Amino acid sequence: MRSLMWGLRSLTRQPLRSGLSLAGIAVAAAMLLDMVMLSGGIDKSFTDLLLGRGYQIRLTPKGTLPFDTEATLSHATEIVAALRSDPAIASAGPVLGTSIYGRLPDSLVTLFGYGIDPAAQGLYRLSAGRDLTPGDTSGILLSPAAAERLGAGVGDTVTLVGRLDPQVVTASVGRRLVVRGVVRWLYDYRGQPSVGTVLPLMQRLAREESEDRASLLVVKVRDDAAVPRVAARLRERFPRLEVNSVADLVVQFKRRLVYFRQLSYILGSMSVIVTVLLIATLMTITVHERLGEIATLRAIGVSRGTVVRQVLAEGTVLTVVGAALGILLGLLTARRLDAILTSFPGLPAAFSFFVPRFDTLRTAAIVLLLTGSLAGLYPAWLAARTPIARTLREEAT
Amino acid sequence: MKFGIRLRQAGCLAGMVLLLGSGSLRAQISSGIALQRRLAQELGLAVGDTVRLGTAPDSMGGLALVTAIYEPRPDPADVTKRDRHVRLHLPELAALLGAPDQVDRFGLGLVPGVSADTAVAQLQRNAFGYQVYRSDAIASESSQTFLVVSRFHRAIAVITIVASAVFLLCIMLLKVEERRMDAAVMRFVGVRRRTIFGALVLEAALVAVLGSGLGTLLALGAGLATNAYYRRFFDTALTFSLITPTIVVFSVALSLGLGLAAGAVAAWRLVRTRPMVLWGRG
Repeated sequence: MRSLMWGLRSLTRQPLRSGLSLAGIAVAAAMLLDMVMLSGGIDKSFTDLLLGRGYQIRLTPKGTLPFDTEATLSHATEIVAALRSDPAIASAGPVLGTSIYGRLPDSLVTLFGYGIDPAAQGLYRLSAGRDLTPGDTSGILLSPAAAERLGAGVGDTVTLVGRLDPQVVTASVGRRLVVRGVVRWLYDYRGQPSVGTVLPLMQRLAREESEDRASLLVVKVRDDAAVPRVAARLRERFPRLEVNSVADLVVQFKRRLVYFRQLSYILGSMSVIVTVLLIATLMTITVHERLGEIATLRAIGVSRGTVVRQVLAEGTVLTVVGAALGILLGLLTARRLDAILTSFPGLPAAFSFFVPRFDTLRTAAIVLLLTGSLAGLYPAWLAARTPIARTLREEAT
Repeated sequence: MKFGIRLRQAGCLAGMVLLLGSGSLRAQISSGIALQRRLAQELGLAVGDTVRLGTAPDSMGGLALVTAIYEPRPDPADVTKRDRHVRLHLPELAALLGAPDQVDRFGLGLVPGVSADTAVAQLQRNAFGYQVYRSDAIASESSQTFLVVSRFHRAIAVITIVASAVFLLCIMLLKVEERRMDAAVMRFVGVRRRTIFGALVLEAALVAVLGSGLGTLLALGAGLATNAYYRRFFDTALTFSLITPTIVVFSVALSLGLGLAAGAVAAWRLVRTRPMVLWGRG
């Protein structure tokens, strides 16, 4: 404790120099914090997003990921019934995603349509109005953006139009529906105009009813610990489908965003190196300047160990204060960087890149503290081997 | 072996099909198909092999002869995707997908002298069920992702520059502070403040230029390593790190400017201090 106080007092001798060093360490620490948040945040945010409604498994056409292609699987109702018969499965539901149109008095609005089973859906949360009921073929759910574009609210009637036929200049299928509720679709990008109806109706609008097609099936397993086992069983049971648990999807997603993870490692390492260089340089020059003082202390009986501890303490104080400032700066810059990256087109609005996680932040703090403190080792060694007599003689002349 | 792929007839019709290696049988897709190199590699297929194509695992229909292996033009948008492509003649793909006489899009080449805007406006007026775009509008839309990445890089660069500036200022300050004795002696023997100031600033500039030169070499090396690593990692010919002369000039100029500023601040603090204080006796 006394060493730390001594270190603090030593730093106040040269306020400009110490201030600049602290600023440098703070910026490097902020960068490290941001990069640690980026490396761990992607996984956490994506996992939270996928588990938003508690569905831990997705089934998609072979070789695809959910909504990654326009591919659909057939006999959805049959497969869902088979899934629901599994005692380990609490709930299973189909989802069809398709492009669709909303009719305005003088034009058409392009929308994204979801066909769902309201009793087993992992896609939305109700914001206003009420949810669809199973078999409700005259109701529709809107996202706020779709409600705005259609100029409709809860209780209003809207017209959905399916595939357009340029040859006869008309829509092949249309349907007037009552807005039951406004919902927040979990996987929509910012401002996505999405609508939802019961699956059979959306299949009819998309002309996918003949083979009972769906884009994916969502499955909720009763016991979280049983998810890998259930996923493996479903892979065996449905060899023609792609079965992915949330953990599998996170792996796939991480593969897509490997660049950002690697960038975070590189920049994080660079931040640590900059911190070490800065502290080591500052401390080395400071020790050189204070050789006379150190020699005097040694001459009056202060042990080498005490001198080494004091130099190391100075480095530690620099690191701790710089890192504390860096945390504040890092949180500010993380918000700005997150705003940039979350503007990726098509990225779910609920997704975040920079997510603080206690375990990763603790690791970063320990790494910074250790490396920052160890950066004082060389200057401390210099201080310890100061030749007392010669230094005092040189100082006196 | 089965493999889910995106099937694409360049710019016309795309669909999801499955491909199944199936030995040497007589092809039913008479014109043959072209496989993307990575797909051919992954499935161990070569020109002359026969595959079975279908839209679902339970409807593997037409047999097709692999007549070509092609290398698609490197596309940053596809680099992290698992999509694998096969090319067919349009009528055969349409028949396979059960979508006869249907396309996803048309590409139009205009007669010389006709402006794209005029053509778009005219077609849009008559459009029902389709949308008309200029090619550059589509390019702009599809490059949004890379604009975001570019903005992110710029933000990171700003943080890095701030850190470098502080670091440089700190080092310069320390370097000049180290010269207290020299400055004191020079002042005692009658050297003017301005001369000392100039010498120190010049030294700072030299350090900044040498440092930025070294940094440029380091960046070039890191760029080469980055490109080698990511090209191998993604199996692509894309360039991931590009250090242009403009970037080098900007970096050196910035470093020189920061060095001069830092040197000037540190030198100014030194020359305004009395020589006796510099000597440690003041």
